[in-house]
Amino acid sequence: MAAEMALLKPISKFANTPRLTNPRAPSRPRFTTIRMSATAQPTAPKKPTEKAKKQAIKETLLAPRFYTTDFDEMEQLFNTEINKNLNQAEFEALLQEFKTDYNQTHFVRNKEFKEAADKIQGPLRQIFVEFLERSCTAEFSGFLLYKELGRRLKKTNPVVAEIFSLMSRDEARHAGFLNKGLSDFNLALDLGFLTKARKYTFFKPKFIFYATYLSEKIGYWRYITIYRHLKENPEYRLYPIFKYFENWCQDENRHGDFFSALMKAQPQFLNDWKAKLWSRFFCLSVYVTMYLNDCQRTAFYEGIGLNTKEFDMHVIIETNRTTARIFPAVLDVENPEFKRKLDRMVVINEKLIAVGETEDIPLVKNLKRIPLIAALASELLAAYLMPPIESGSVDFAEFEPQLVY
Amino acid sequence: MAMSSGGVGLLGSAAALLGSPVAGTSMRGHTNVAMWSCPLPPPFRHCDLRRHSSSLSSPPPSPPFVVAVAATDSSNQVSPTQQPSESKSNKYHFVVANAKFMLDEEEHFQELLFERLRNYGERNKEQDFWLVIEPKFLDNFPNITKRLRRPAVALVSTNATWITFMKLRLDRVLADSYEADSLEEALASNPIHVEFDKPANWVAPYPKYEYGWWEPFLPAGCRESKV
Repeated sequence: MAAEMALLKPISKFANTPRLTNPRAPSRPRFTTIRMSATAQPTAPKKPTEKAKKQAIKETLLAPRFYTTDFDEMEQLFNTEINKNLNQAEFEALLQEFKTDYNQTHFVRNKEFKEAADKIQGPLRQIFVEFLERSCTAEFSGFLLYKELGRRLKKTNPVVAEIFSLMSRDEARHAGFLNKGLSDFNLALDLGFLTKARKYTFFKPKFIFYATYLSEKIGYWRYITIYRHLKENPEYRLYPIFKYFENWCQDENRHGDFFSALMKAQPQFLNDWKAKLWSRFFCLSVYVTMYLNDCQRTAFYEGIGLNTKEFDMHVIIETNRTTARIFPAVLDVENPEFKRKLDRMVVINEKLIAVGETEDIPLVKNLKRIPLIAALASELLAAYLMPPIESGSVDFAEFEPQLVY
Repeated sequence: MAMSSGGVGLLGSAAALLGSPVAGTSMRGHTNVAMWSCPLPPPFRHCDLRRHSSSLSSPPPSPPFVVAVAATDSSNQVSPTQQPSESKSNKYHFVVANAKFMLDEEEHFQELLFERLRNYGERNKEQDFWLVIEPKFLDNFPNITKRLRRPAVALVSTNATWITFMKLRLDRVLADSYEADSLEEALASNPIHVEFDKPANWVAPYPKYEYGWWEPFLPAGCRESKV
């Protein structure tokens, strides 16, 4: 299936982790450690061998991924010795913001969490657990990547390195807070195991910039939309974690700003026709992945009083508007045809899932999948080829001289 | 995998950080205190409203402004070595755009300002940023005003570093700086009532931020009376 779908997964916060099923610590009855998300395996072997563990981490198409990149190239790109005219002013300004640490004392829990969790029963309980697990994994994958970048860039560009380290501080805090949330449901993600056992998806630095920029900005729009919706409709606020989203998502937004500055410091990633094609590609990948993922989980969004598709379209449109401040081209997502294409992809995706759930032998399943995959690919291609919108930072964009502020 | 090289260290720090939700490295360093340094102008010298950044350049007309004593850093630091408070910066940095963009469309802008206000409250910092509706200082920036829809709103701060960040965030704004010898003079505005049309199709699953959210950020004395 579309390779681009695979990269999407880790991207949207909340949308990325595997299902958690395997209770893996039978000796501790009340507390279950989730080691990975497996495919739905009804019962875990009591003493899984190493081999069994490996099999249990099944990387499915839409399964989340951790990112890694070419750290040597990153070092080159931001080496202040090599790039003497690297504009450091924006990095200095961002460093100041991250050092301020607006949320230093924000993530403090109280007893409402456990009480609320105990009240969530029935099918919604499982959905909430999955939401926490996916969100935690997404935040944690950011932590790993930023932490390593902070370490690797220390010598060549201490300012950029420190920003990465401070962003990993934020991500760790977020992941930790979500993992504490899982403890309200008597679960915990084994993040150490995840670190070692997860597959890492390799992206060249410029792709990391596009993907993580979008990931952070779409994360901001998801969190703030949920927060503001629940502020208006508190009867749907089933769990106190949503109250923290307003301050929390400002971190996401700032992280996105940093990737904006990174790209502005490397204008070759923003100013040619290839950059425009990649920008559209990443936008499409991220939006489609979120849409398909969320449409498989409407119960969660409906559970907190949202219409899944309306919520997603709002997030996509706003993220796209934000992204148009930096990417040289974005998709025309406000064209009604774009949503129609997304909706057709949802239908095809549902059929694909249905094929997977049949009793057919693998060969037959694959044969049945071929026309569906072709249909999905053609929808994706058509969406990709829709007339784009020229965009970009006013510091670079060709339309700047005509712009009235 | 490339990441595995740092595996042990990463896991260690992950464990440490995840252990406590408010953990984090110390944020109280005081590097980068002054992005700009002003040579102290002689007190009571007449001089132009001077511009320092370069985005738009043509010499502005020169109203006589008295420049007072200068210029300590007032950047966003929790620094134990603050200059004595009587020496105030006389340099102001701003980003400006039309009122609709600043006050109505960019809702994350509201969130940033309230976040910053909260932070200043928590750390007992004196406010050093303001919103100015139709600022008088714009008269000295013809190259800005000819590209600006009116009414205009400026975000003004004595913290140059932060204004650089706000320019990065907002992008569709013009940035520059000027000097003035008193806060009142720096933030003087032509009183005007701003009004915005309701958005044609508001599809967000929440209401817009309320009209007038910007009141706490207007300079004292210029707060618009509520209608």
